[in-house]
This record gives sequence, structure tokens and C-alpha cells, in this order.
Amino acid sequence: MKILRSKLAIIIFLGVAVLFFTNDFGLIDIEKTAIITAVAIDKEADDYKVSVEVAVPEATDTNAENQRALISGSGKTVGGALKDIGDETGWFPKLSFCNLIIIGNGFENENVIKVLDYFAKTMQIQDSATVVYSEKTGEDLLKATSPLDNISSFALQKILLKSTGFDNDVITTDIRSFCANYYSPHSSSIMPIVKIIEQRADVDKAQEGGANGSSTSQGGSSKSSASGKTVFNASTSALFKNGIKVGELDKDLTFAYNLLNRSVERSTIKVDDVDGINHLLTVVSNKPTIKLTATDTDLKLSINLDLYCRLSDLNSVNSDSTFAENKPLSDKLIEATKTKLEKDIGDLVLTEMQTGCDILKVKDLLYRFNYKHYHTYKDNYLSKLNFDVSVAVSGQK
Amino acid sequence: MQFQLKTRQVCLFFIAFLPIIKLFSLPSVIADVAREDMWISTLINVLLDLFTLIVLIFTCKKCKTDFYGLLELNFGKVGSKIILGIYFITFMVKGFIPVMEQKSFIELALYETLPNFFNFMPFFVVCFYLCLKKLRVLGRIADVFFVCTALGLILLFALSLPNCDFTAILPVGARGSVNHLKGSYYSFNWFGDAMYLMFFIGQFEYKKKDGLKIVLSFVIPSLAVILFMIMFYGIFTSIAYRQFFALTEISKYTVIINNIGRFDYFAILFLLASNCFALSLPLYFATTILNKICAFNKRWISALIVTLTYVAVLLIFEQFSATITSTISYYFNTLFFITANVFPVCTALLNKGVKNENLAV
Repeated sequence: MKILRSKLAIIIFLGVAVLFFTNDFGLIDIEKTAIITAVAIDKEADDYKVSVEVAVPEATDTNAENQRALISGSGKTVGGALKDIGDETGWFPKLSFCNLIIIGNGFENENVIKVLDYFAKTMQIQDSATVVYSEKTGEDLLKATSPLDNISSFALQKILLKSTGFDNDVITTDIRSFCANYYSPHSSSIMPIVKIIEQRADVDKAQEGGANGSSTSQGGSSKSSASGKTVFNASTSALFKNGIKVGELDKDLTFAYNLLNRSVERSTIKVDDVDGINHLLTVVSNKPTIKLTATDTDLKLSINLDLYCRLSDLNSVNSDSTFAENKPLSDKLIEATKTKLEKDIGDLVLTEMQTGCDILKVKDLLYRFNYKHYHTYKDNYLSKLNFDVSVAVSGQK
Repeated sequence: MQFQLKTRQVCLFFIAFLPIIKLFSLPSVIADVAREDMWISTLINVLLDLFTLIVLIFTCKKCKTDFYGLLELNFGKVGSKIILGIYFITFMVKGFIPVMEQKSFIELALYETLPNFFNFMPFFVVCFYLCLKKLRVLGRIADVFFVCTALGLILLFALSLPNCDFTAILPVGARGSVNHLKGSYYSFNWFGDAMYLMFFIGQFEYKKKDGLKIVLSFVIPSLAVILFMIMFYGIFTSIAYRQFFALTEISKYTVIINNIGRFDYFAILFLLASNCFALSLPLYFATTILNKICAFNKRWISALIVTLTYVAVLLIFEQFSATITSTISYYFNTLFFITANVFPVCTALLNKGVKNENLAV
């Protein structure tokens, strides 16, 4: 009897544990529903227009191409616009799987935190969702199709996140980091600008040809994304001070920013015309050091970058095995790379000083490492700033 | 004297249950006051508890009876019942905020579609069952669930580390001692774990060097909590005070999570499993105390009273949870400080029910 009671207790306990620790009964059957993959926000007069891209996963053997739809709603707040979608369609958007927030170009002179803060505070969406700024309206970006994927948000995520090592040319910002930077003393944030570039869609025929030979079990996957006639480019960045867009970084400055802020392993640097030869270097490692030294009379920012590269390609006339063997880089190539990067990083600091957007977080350095002088410089640190940049490039030694 | 626990179980008790309830809303509560110095406020509370624990170890060494016997011998029957009554109130109030925040967490983070009150009810079934049991069951649970806690914390730290900017806690001490102490005071509800050792007096056989083992098993999870606070601020910096469920927040920004999915939920579920019992501790001891005060023949009566009181309060006052939480945070912390730190330290001064010989550490 005692053993029976113990067994019963264990079974009840396990049952209760299942109820407590899982949400099986609350899970939506993903094959029978539609999930929101991206949200685009545009400004329309005094209202916000929110467009959501809805992907409908297909699980059949005959058609594996994901279907998609675009639904829009508007309101005085972002939450209100999302509710408007629910009111219009009878279906309240579930944002759990949404991994992309697009800010349309209508926010040129408006504080974007008004719209982003909603996503930072609501539990409906992960605040690790990526944030991008669209060169056109957010809705246009969602409508565009790319050869990478017929669902634009998936295609965008491929260039922003999914290719580790090759996505280092773009800035990646999520809701949390954008808001944390906005509310920090420097109040400066950055996000990638996504541009739509028209392309010839030759992939259609090529992929259809390939599909003829493939087995049915592959479900016609080759057809997916065949209709894309545009590609996305996110290699430039938008700068925000107090939530308002104050400037942009071009492709080179964006890369320089990434060199100073994250590991850009496997990214490439083009160094042209060194003794008439163009080179492509692959970054093996980058070690940036940004140091701020404050005295009563001077504020000096020292930026050092230690870059280890290997040669990936060069357009030499003669056969050259240098890049295959990872041989030492020539002095001229090192000097040319160093000069290029020092200029780019210097321009980055000048952009920061001109726009007032403290993307290098100098004010944080002042607060954290020079607290004694924080109150002296906190209001005019960018105008008082002196800086020097030193880049050390090395290859195989 | 029949011992309910082994020293190992006392040690694992602290490792398994001490850190978890501090990983939900506590970080945001402290960050709101102490910002980048939130770890200093945490450290103050840890040191306070550590001091209490060390004193209690001395009491454990010299006591010939258990805690209840000790009270009765020194304060008489009425006096001991009054003290136990105060502890009953302490446990009933102390458990409320952690249970409330766990309920919100389950409803908002796990049951985001149509959460309702009854989603959280299974917890009270587990809790009621635990309250029926003797202290040795707690020891056995600690034996098993310390693994969950340790694995959960290790995985959580490993995933959070790449996104953590440790320099965010600089400059050390810039917020001033007033804010440090405020952060410490407002968080008493979540601390005071050393007090549990007082209820273990006479329940385990104290041997040579056991004190060191218990101190170590208290210090290690406490350091994990301090590290968690540092990492939490290192990840969220200026918006740390807005993150109400730190446990699920800190690990999700890793690139690998973006690409693969939220496998950090393994760590979170490990910790939630241990937390189910950690949350039950105040209710367990409230049950034990109620049983001592009222001398019920059946323990299930006091277990039912305690559990149903919690269910009723959560059900009836659900809409007032914010008011209740802020009332407890502001007005009951002095009581928590007295019952969790001051009185346990004073037990070292009790002279009845203790051995005569002097014992060295």
C-alpha cells in the first residue's frame, strides 16, 4: 500500500511538473498558423502605420515555398496600430517569432525611441529583434522580394545575421542595445540602413533548370525566391543622437566602426593599386583598444588597432602563390592598408565630432575611467576632444 | 537526538535554493536605486547574511537541542510562541513577492497566449505536498536539485558572457553609500537565507570542519549571485532597471541564440525546477511553525491553512499585487532584517540548552 502510494505520488508529481514547466497545451500548431516575421513602422501624418509581414509555413511535399502576406494598420501609437490590425482582420498579431523591426524613412526628424520603446517594454516580442532603418518606407522594404528568399524579412536576416564571418560589413543592432544606448549618458545609437537595389532576375531560369533534375522529395525548393528582382544592401549606417537621425556612415566608415567594436574575423579589405596590383586581404583577427585620457586641460582619445590579415587575392600578371601559402605581407601592402584604415578611423571620429553622435561611447569612457574629470567635460567633451589613431597591420611573420 | 539532515544536505540546501529567487525581479529592484553599483548593494546583503551564518554555526555547535527547544528553554512556552508567531508572519510575508513574481513570469513568459490564474495552481499542489513532509525530504530534494541549479547557472553564464561589458560597473562606488544602502535595504525580502540554518539547529550532527563546509556552500552561490548582478548590468546598462525577468533576459542576445533559437530555455527550465522548491521554503517553514504554535495532530491542517491562504490572497488581491509588493518592499524590510539577521545573531547569547564546554571553530 505504501509503495502504491509512493508510485501514485510520483506520477502525480510528474504530471504536475509537466503542467508547471511546459506550455504544451498552449503551443500553437505552427503548421496551421501564420507567424509574423517582421514589423515595419512608417509615419503617416500624425499616425503611425504598422505593416506586418506574415509568413505561412507550408509543410507539404508539393510546395515548400513559404507563402506570405502583408497586413497594415494605423494608430496614434505603435501598440494602437497593432491593435488596429487585430480590429481590421479579427486576428491579433502574435509577435513571438518576429525578429526584425524596420523603421521607415519618414522618421527623419522624429525621435525613433517613441516607436522602439514599445518593443523594448512589451513582453510580446523578443527585444533581441534586429532593428534596421529603411531608405524607403518600411512597407516598401517588406514588399520587395529578393532572390535570397521570397520573404523579405528572411532575406534581410540573411545579410544581417546569418552569415557569420561575412556579415561584418554591416552593423547589427537589436532593440535592447539601441534603447540601452539611447538611455545612456551619451544618448547615441546606430543602426543599418537597408537599401533596395534592382537586379536582373536571371536566377529564375537557372533555378528552374536545376529543379527539373531534382527529386520530388525536395519539394520544389528551387522555386522559392525565384521571383526576386531586388537585393538588399545594408552596408551603410544611420546615426542617431537623442533618437533623431543626425547622419550616416558610408560603407568604409561602417566597416571601420565594426573594426573598433566587434570581431570582424573573415571580413575582407580591398587595398588597390599597390605598385599597380590590387589586393584583397582577409582579416584573421582585430584587436581594438580605445582609451581616453583626461587631464584638467586636455581630453585625448587614443585609438589603436592591431590587425592580423592574410592575403586572399591579388591581380598579379605572374603566377603567385603568396595568398595560398599565407606568406608575409609586403611592407608596401602593410603601409597602404595602414594608411587606408587610419584615414577611415580618423574620418569616423570626425563624423562623431561633427554630428554629435557619440558612437565610440567617449562619454562612457569619460564616466567609467575618468570620473574625476567627468563633470568638467561632460557637456563639451566632443568639442574638446583630441585624438590619435594608430593601426598596426601584420601578416604571417 | 534523531537527526533529520546530514551536513552534506545542509550544504547542498544553500547551493540549490539560495541563488534562484534572486534572479527574477530582484536585479531590476536594486538597479533602480544603485545602478552600476547594484553589485555593491548585493555584496552588503551577502556579507550581512554571511556574518549571520557564521554566528549561527557557533550556535549549532554548542546547542544540545533544536531551535524550538532552544526557544522554549530560554523564553518559556508563551515567549517562544510569540517569537514563533513573528517568524510565522515573516515567512508568510517573505514568500509573497517571490511567488507573485514567479506567477507573473509563468503567465507572461511561458503562457503568453491566454494566461489565467489556474496556470500557476500546480505550484501550490507541489508546495502543499512538500509542506506535509519532514525536514529530511528537503534535504533529499537539495541532494537532487543542486545539480539543476548548478547546470542552469553555468549554462546561463556561458551564454551571457559574450554580450557582457564588465566595464559598465565602473566607476566603483560613484552612486554613493546612501544608494548602496537603499539598494541593500529594499532587497532584504530576497535575502536572509542564513536564517534557515537557525531552523536546522539540532537537526544535523555537527562534526569538525562542518562549519567551513557550510560557509563555503553559502559563499559559492552568493558569489554566483553577485556575478549575475554584474553581468546583468553589463548587458543592460542604462535600461537594467526595466528588466523585470532578468533570468530569461540575459542570455538571449548571443548570436548563437539568434541563429539556432532559444536553447537557453534548458538553463531557464533547470533553474525553474529548483525554484519551485526554493519558493516553497517560506511556506514550508510557516507550516512547521504554525504546527508548533497550534500543536495540530495532523501536519496537513497547517499545510492546508498556509497554502490556501496564499491561494486566496493571490486570487482575491491579484489586482492589488503591485500595491502589496510595494508595501512589503517598503514597510516589512525592517522586520525581515530583525528576523533574518538580528535575532539569529542573538541566539549565540542564549545560555540554556547549550553545551558547557568551549568549542573552537
